[in-house]
Amino acid sequence: MSDFSEELIKSTTEDDQGERCELSGTGMHFPWLQKHIETVATGGKKEKDFAQTTSACLSFIQEALLKHQWQQAAEYMHSYLQVLEDSDSCKRQAAPEIIWKLGSEILYYHPKSNVEAFNTFADRMKNIGVMNYLKISLQHALYLLHHGMLEDANRNLSQAETWRYGEKSSSQEVLINLIQAYKGLLQYYAWSKKKMELSQLDKDDYAYNTASQNMLDHSWKTSVNLGALIQIPGVWDPFVKGYVEMLEFYGDQDGAREVLTNYAYDEKFPSNPNAHIYLYNFLKREKAPREKLISVLKILYQIVPSHKLMLEFHRLLRKSEKEEHHKLGLEVLFGVLDFAGCTKNITAWKYLAKYLRQTLMGSHLAWVQEEWSSRKNWWPGFHFSYFWAKSDWKEDKALACEKALVAGVLSGKGTWLCFLFI
Amino acid sequence: MDFPGSLRPTVFMTGPLGLSDVPDMSFMCSWRDALTLPESLPQNSENGVPHVAKGLLWEPETPGPLPLLPPGPDPWHPGLTAQDLLFRGGHPFQKQPRVVLDVTEQLSRFLWDHGDIAFAPLGKLMLENFKLEGARSRSKKKTVVSVKRLLQDLDGHQPWGCPWAYLSYRQRRFSILGGPILGKSVANLLGDLLHEELVTRWEQLLLDDAFTGGALAWVPGKTPRVGQLVYPAGSTLDKLYFQEVSLTPGGNPQVLRDPGHIQLRGPVRQVVTRTVQGESLLAVRSDYHCALWKISRQGRPAPLQVLQVEKGATGISLSPHLPGELAVCSRSGAICLWTPQDGLRRVYKDPDTLVFRDPSPWRWADFTAHPRVLTVGDRTGVKIVDTQVRGGDCHRQSSRTEQRHGVGWGRDLPEGMKSSRSVSPAGGDGAPDLRLGGLTRFLSQGPPGCGLLLFRGGAEASCQKGERVLLTQYLGEGSPESLHSTLHLICTQFSLYLVDERLPLVPMLKWNHGLPSAPLLARLLPPPGPGCPRPLLLGGQDGQLQLLHITGEEASTPRLAGPPQSLPSRNDSLSAFPVLEPKSQWRLQERLKAPTIGLAAAIPPSASTPILSLFQLSAAGDVFHQCLRLQADPGPDSCAPTVSWSPQATACCSQWLKALLEVPPAPPVWAAPTFSHRRLLGCVEQREVEGKVPEGLRAAMAEGRLLQQRDLGSLPTAEPPPAPEPGPDDELSKRLEAAWEGRAAAWWERRQGWSSGPRQQPKRHKRRTQLSSTFSSLSGRLELSDATSPPPSPDPEARPRPPGTPPSQELAQENWARGVPSERQQTLRDYMAKLPLREDPLEDASVPPSQTSSIRATRSRQRTLQDNTAKPPLQMDTPEGVSVPPSQTSSIWATRSRQRTLQDNTAKPPLQRDTPEGASVPLFQTSSIRATRFRQQTLQDNTAKPPLQRDTPEGAFVPSSQTSSIQATPSRQQTPVLSGSQRIRKKPRMGF
Repeated sequence: MSDFSEELIKSTTEDDQGERCELSGTGMHFPWLQKHIETVATGGKKEKDFAQTTSACLSFIQEALLKHQWQQAAEYMHSYLQVLEDSDSCKRQAAPEIIWKLGSEILYYHPKSNVEAFNTFADRMKNIGVMNYLKISLQHALYLLHHGMLEDANRNLSQAETWRYGEKSSSQEVLINLIQAYKGLLQYYAWSKKKMELSQLDKDDYAYNTASQNMLDHSWKTSVNLGALIQIPGVWDPFVKGYVEMLEFYGDQDGAREVLTNYAYDEKFPSNPNAHIYLYNFLKREKAPREKLISVLKILYQIVPSHKLMLEFHRLLRKSEKEEHHKLGLEVLFGVLDFAGCTKNITAWKYLAKYLRQTLMGSHLAWVQEEWSSRKNWWPGFHFSYFWAKSDWKEDKALACEKALVAGVLSGKGTWLCFLFI
Repeated sequence: MDFPGSLRPTVFMTGPLGLSDVPDMSFMCSWRDALTLPESLPQNSENGVPHVAKGLLWEPETPGPLPLLPPGPDPWHPGLTAQDLLFRGGHPFQKQPRVVLDVTEQLSRFLWDHGDIAFAPLGKLMLENFKLEGARSRSKKKTVVSVKRLLQDLDGHQPWGCPWAYLSYRQRRFSILGGPILGKSVANLLGDLLHEELVTRWEQLLLDDAFTGGALAWVPGKTPRVGQLVYPAGSTLDKLYFQEVSLTPGGNPQVLRDPGHIQLRGPVRQVVTRTVQGESLLAVRSDYHCALWKISRQGRPAPLQVLQVEKGATGISLSPHLPGELAVCSRSGAICLWTPQDGLRRVYKDPDTLVFRDPSPWRWADFTAHPRVLTVGDRTGVKIVDTQVRGGDCHRQSSRTEQRHGVGWGRDLPEGMKSSRSVSPAGGDGAPDLRLGGLTRFLSQGPPGCGLLLFRGGAEASCQKGERVLLTQYLGEGSPESLHSTLHLICTQFSLYLVDERLPLVPMLKWNHGLPSAPLLARLLPPPGPGCPRPLLLGGQDGQLQLLHITGEEASTPRLAGPPQSLPSRNDSLSAFPVLEPKSQWRLQERLKAPTIGLAAAIPPSASTPILSLFQLSAAGDVFHQCLRLQADPGPDSCAPTVSWSPQATACCSQWLKALLEVPPAPPVWAAPTFSHRRLLGCVEQREVEGKVPEGLRAAMAEGRLLQQRDLGSLPTAEPPPAPEPGPDDELSKRLEAAWEGRAAAWWERRQGWSSGPRQQPKRHKRRTQLSSTFSSLSGRLELSDATSPPPSPDPEARPRPPGTPPSQELAQENWARGVPSERQQTLRDYMAKLPLREDPLEDASVPPSQTSSIRATRSRQRTLQDNTAKPPLQMDTPEGVSVPPSQTSSIWATRSRQRTLQDNTAKPPLQRDTPEGASVPLFQTSSIRATRFRQQTLQDNTAKPPLQRDTPEGAFVPSSQTSSIQATPSRQQTPVLSGSQRIRKKPRMGF
């Protein structure tokens, strides 16, 4: 049995795996274990010729794919299809997924393949066995979506949506939700197209009314489709974005806020910076009070202190009346400049130079000291080294000046002078 | 920095590995990654076409990599294989073959090789039940076994595992009767330890993580075309070479001059290089040391600092942000930040693994986009750890203390240090880790104050059951221009993950690499041209290479720009070499199959198509090179043209091969004897005694390699050399001739007539004993004298018993000397030799050389007897001077006459080059199991020098070595016997 297929039918081979891992005692699974055993084992049940040829064929296909020999891979694939008649039921069950995986890849990259061929293949594969219908439908729809065939994709998803087999398992449920969400996304695309048309129409026109009526219908359907999925923990950026846009359009501000807040703050969700960014942007559009904005960005600051919104955050904090916000404003600037990707951000340096001066004038030396104490052993080497001074001066004199100014304020006269006059 | 505005939809599930009820979102293929969602409709209508370069392909210029440098002068041995460790029997009733460690074979080896330890005490206890005389006087009692016949059978014993092994019914009965008693004590003592050792070896065979990260580095030089390859070579990989290489526009690298090298005191496991702020640094990890060099602009390395890691270092990384800063991980679970200026600072310590319990002590640390934040990885996950020392004065104080204590790696740091990093989850001013520690909800992921998990071996990344992290790597370069400054690569045995540190736990990209070996090497290269995706090289331990095209600007998620491709491995180069005789061919194949331990690549600037120069280092110290050319869009017929070997390439390979074959092959560690060599070698050795057999022939026979013309010397038919005595070849042919004609018996008689004459004893003696050591696995180790003198009674006051000596050994010796009637002593001595009751020659300092010499050489008993009879004055050396009448001993000779000639002809072991210091031995100490087998020979060799006994003063150290050898058996990193033997060997030898 090859590694590839093994990994796919993990549920059926779990016991075997456990048996084999037992020796190492670590529970680690080694895909190359079989190879070692084969050099030693002489007895044991021999694989049948059929199994040998199919597994050899599988490895040929994989090899051809990795060498981009699509033509050859397709030829091998032709022979590999015999695996569907394997007498080993466990292999036979795993086969459709492998065939789909490899076959779709071949068809995706093969220079002579086209959408029709892919469609035919996908439709056939869906109905071999029952386990893969949803997965293949979803991927097929994505393929069509990618190729701009939205209607076909929609039809596909609608078909898949109503498909049921046996008891609904949780993975099936997630898949159905996903399918519905993608359908919702398609509807959102249609909606946003209509919205654009609408904006070009005259409001008094008769067509306007029908169009807006259509849009209302869409909105309702979409909200049903999208709403279910985004309750499940995950990263659903495109869905959330579209959903919120629609809710906002129809004036359901509370609903939109709820969706976004849930997306950002639900503990079961991964800490997705975009969730906070969407919420912030929404609140900004809504003209929420500064306090509110600051509290959203504060959390974003904790997750991604290097985000470009941090400069905006700093501006908000600077404008705030609260002293602790002023202090945080300094911290945020330092935080941004800590990151390797931001060292040449001249705005940040400008802000820092200006704000340092302001802070010191406001006799908050302690704040600066606090920030500086943890950085003084590495910022000079990181930002104010001779190398950077030279290269900054060559590339961007303004940046070099700002940096020199900050260096001067922070590290005393000795260092920055040399930095400035290189 | 910008964050991708819209991430790919993913289900997020928490849970353990292999959660089967989660739809694996990576179930889709590589093309799925190429799919893009139309962001919104207007955009979609514009660029609905897939903008994936379908034909993105790095095309190799040759079908396989070519050797860049000539092979090193040291022989290389591939080491242990599964065959050495696993049980080779079949399991007819099992569906799947199972892994069974072969403890029995190892144990049986031990019993053969160290029978003294294994059986001496029991032998003593069972002494009463043995009848030592021959078969004539029949005993009525069933409980008494005749030892003589048993010994006779044992004389022709066959090694374990030989399908043709002959087992007499007597032996069989004896082993059945005695088995339960004989075997148990030793097996019980050793079994567990041995099993443990074998398990470790087996695990190492399955996954050797020592070379994680790779030991080959490309240090860019002054111009982009010139650089240096830094790599270890030599049989133990303890020489660090600096080879200057120039990349031609055509892609072929040129070696500029002879490499410089630095001799280190340990094997190099990892070589890391970085150029930070114009300063090139080189860090090297050995097993217990790490070192840092600065490479000057001229390319000369200047050592900066060396660090000792007591528990063993597992990983080292150079900071891409601050010159000279390193992260070092140790097996104890500690991560230290190391700068040459400030010394060592421990930033993290957790002996436990991150996510779930895993026994592996492997740890890894790398840097992140924030210079003061590290990733800490183990087999179960990767965590982000903030190392900043924040807070008030007391913390700064403690940090200084720590730096002073920096060198003591294993030392615990002052308590203040710990408190400075511990975090109150409540937040506020005292919670610095919250900055990157993320939201409070993630603090529950690990011990408090340890940041948050970047990657979790679990359902979050849809990990499979049994999946483990093998490599983590920060992909950013530290320069603000690099687009992937927040990306981390995580490799498991199944998949490759790209994780953004700003979105922990959710992989941005997952690709099932399907490599058939552990992916321990990865290199992300700069884009070969503007707008091109970045090549990410992934190297498996067995040499497989994959190349992935990673694309994604700062504001979009990283994804595969095209289907991944595999690159040729060194195995594919086999066709470039000329066809060889099987032995050499096999050697070449083995060399090409050596594990890959280093990977480096450079993209020289070129005007036309981008070129990728790929270097790989094998465990044998070979550097291979391959040139790849980017085919951005090969058109609709993307059928890759098959490349073939150019004449230059084959010439290069032949030259390399020639150099390789000149390297002497590694001495065989141990070869399983398939039949009794002794009997076959008999006639050869006979003439060897006369000093005429070419060394080559003996060497060839002992190594079991193909006999070649040069081994046999000149053919006797061509021109018989004018020798005073008949040469070996015609001896052999004479015998064969005689045998063919059916006159073998007559020839035999003649032979015997020749061999019975007086000979030069010392020379023969030496050879014989050396041979016996070669076949030590076949023969009993110690032999008693056939000499006519009785053994001397031990001298009690002259031998203080070392504390560790088992009393049984001495007791045994004294016992047999005292209570046995004198006419039985001869047989008894024989028996004692067989059963090895005692082994240290040093104990009986009073035994005359002739006598003890025959004690050592079993197979030469007969000859010694003759010698003794020929040289009676020797017996006068014995303290008692009691001589056994010849009549008594002659009866024994008679029984052995069958074996006489054979025994006499113990060939000189060609392996033993009689190096007094045993110089070849330490080499093998590194691998304990190999050493077990090899050591035997040396040991034999030592004990086989009878006259030594006189010189050694009381030999107090040898018994201790004996006792310790049983403890050291499972892991013989140090073999005390060796050191002891070395001391013996330095003594002047008598009789030589």
